[in-house]
Amino acid sequence: MPDPKPLAEVALSIPSRPEYVGVARLAILGVASRMRFSYDEVEDIRLAVGEACTRSIDRLNGDADAHPINLACLIDANRLTIEVRSSLPHSPVAPAEVESPDAEKGLSDVLIRILMDEVDTEERPEEGIYVLRMVKYVAR
Amino acid sequence: MNLRVETRTPSEGVAVIALSGEADVYTSPRIKQEIVDLLNNGTTKLVVDLTSVEYLDSTGLGVLIGGLKRARERDGDLKLICDNLRILRIFEITGLTKIFDIYRSEAEALEKL
Repeated sequence: MPDPKPLAEVALSIPSRPEYVGVARLAILGVASRMRFSYDEVEDIRLAVGEACTRSIDRLNGDADAHPINLACLIDANRLTIEVRSSLPHSPVAPAEVESPDAEKGLSDVLIRILMDEVDTEERPEEGIYVLRMVKYVAR
Repeated sequence: MNLRVETRTPSEGVAVIALSGEADVYTSPRIKQEIVDLLNNGTTKLVVDLTSVEYLDSTGLGVLIGGLKRARERDGDLKLICDNLRILRIFEITGLTKIFDIYRSEAEALEKL
């Protein structure tokens, strides 16, 4: 059975560039702060969203044709669901100019999975998008 | 919120890099550059002060790990100062408290270098 319609939805679209990740973090801070999350939980959500956006940018590695990163925040009485949608790379890309891409990806994965209650990912090649879905429950 | 990087050299071969603000995918390259420049100039004992860092992500952690590795390759070291529980929690979650020496004060970090 499909999930019931959320009480409210907030959508945001940011360019796939590092300087805009902070904008996504600020937006999610505003959304989560309106719910019954503790200060620490709001900070956890903020970090997880930042990591999700960073992962998207790393995967695309400066692909000029990349579409924006689209965030959808689905607000329910007992949970916040965040979907982060980004482009699948158009072609194989060279490793990003980072200290150790695999190690950072590993750290990012660990953070997202520990900070959020549920995490799943999905590639939709026919639409050319990658979806990371994260859920945080209120006072479970 | 952005990132401020301030470096002092309390003694020869030793530098304290004080960060304030957000260390993320956008700002971390500046931290990396500062560390690389210091190491290339012969400063191999580094202390990174995270006391005023309000946000740290995996990119920032990656830069610190790279800095530690580079410093040790030159027989130096990189130690951290941090008393912010949120930031300390990120090191704990990722298991990085096992590879970094983290101190509460600059005096303590410098003494252990």
